Amino acid sequence: MQQFKNLKFVILIIVVLLILVIVRNSDQNLFKKDIKSAIEATQNNSNTLSLNQLRQLKGPWMVVNIGNSDLPDSVQVEHSMKIPFENLLDQTNRKILEEVNGDLILYSADVATASKAWVILNQMGFKNAFILNAGGNPEELKYKFQPDTTARLEQDSI
Amino acid sequence: MDARIRYSVLLVGVGIILAFLPFDAAQTFQLKSDELLTRSASEEMYFSVDQVARAVNSEDSTVQIIDVRSVAQFRECNIPSSINIPFDDLQNPLWEATLNQKKVKNIFYGNGDQTASYAWTIVTGLGYPNNFVMKGGLNEWFSTVMLSQYSGEKITPAENARFENRLNARKAFTEINSLPDSLKTRFFNAKRLNQSKLDGGCN
Repeated sequence: MQQFKNLKFVILIIVVLLILVIVRNSDQNLFKKDIKSAIEATQNNSNTLSLNQLRQLKGPWMVVNIGNSDLPDSVQVEHSMKIPFENLLDQTNRKILEEVNGDLILYSADVATASKAWVILNQMGFKNAFILNAGGNPEELKYKFQPDTTARLEQDSI
Repeated sequence: MDARIRYSVLLVGVGIILAFLPFDAAQTFQLKSDELLTRSASEEMYFSVDQVARAVNSEDSTVQIIDVRSVAQFRECNIPSSINIPFDDLQNPLWEATLNQKKVKNIFYGNGDQTASYAWTIVTGLGYPNNFVMKGGLNEWFSTVMLSQYSGEKITPAENARFENRLNARKAFTEINSLPDSLKTRFFNAKRLNQSKLDGGCN
């Protein structure tokens, strides 16, 4: 008992630190994953699905339309829901996303919106999130640069 | 009680607490998720290709244009004065000093909007300030800056300024990207050397 009394300040400090750590880690708004997981998941576009790949999925899935436009015609309405991007992390919507059975397929006609949402969800720990690319590879360069073979830089610039 | 025992108990306790904290806090998002979402939904995160063209023409030193495509794609063609930070290499600690600057705006671009948006979200999530995306990427740059033509009969001063801006950016783009690879390498090395001299670094 005497030993415990002597240690009470030390134990008090540890308990305070422990409470702070628990409070910090229990904040739902904090990210806990390493960015490496997001970067690796985007390699070879393994986090994206085409419409064909979506049709061939064997397990359950749910398309979440986070954009302003409607879903592509080939996506069945019963397998989809609409959540505006800016409300994606509202408490109710977050719970809905967590309860989705199977893969979570993010769709927006503006691929930038789906990409940002995917990174945020990935970093929040949603391992089952994918992006639906309905219009082909958005990172394909559609133009070919035609060099001007007569162009030369001034000597002093090199 | 012996002070050594007190300190030992304290250190063990702190050690246990540290064990529960993330291993490398620098590589996890520092922003809260709702704040990151609010910034992501804002249109203020975008630069138009005309704004980027203006920055290129004026050699704006407060703007840092960042190409997040692969090294091979960057070598094929890139926006003048842009630097290449391939998206796959974004977590390399070497880039932190380049990306985490208070007075410089980072403008990310890829071929489209996807990779640049990934990069923007990660860099903003890490807590680095002043990040933007060039809306539409290099595809938009080609259609607006490289291939734009005026077809009306009269041109207003504002339209004239816009087309002149595009024309100058187009010339710079064509000039730099038309160089043979050997000259391009020399040009980029010279540019890097000049930059390190300006930064006060060594060769």
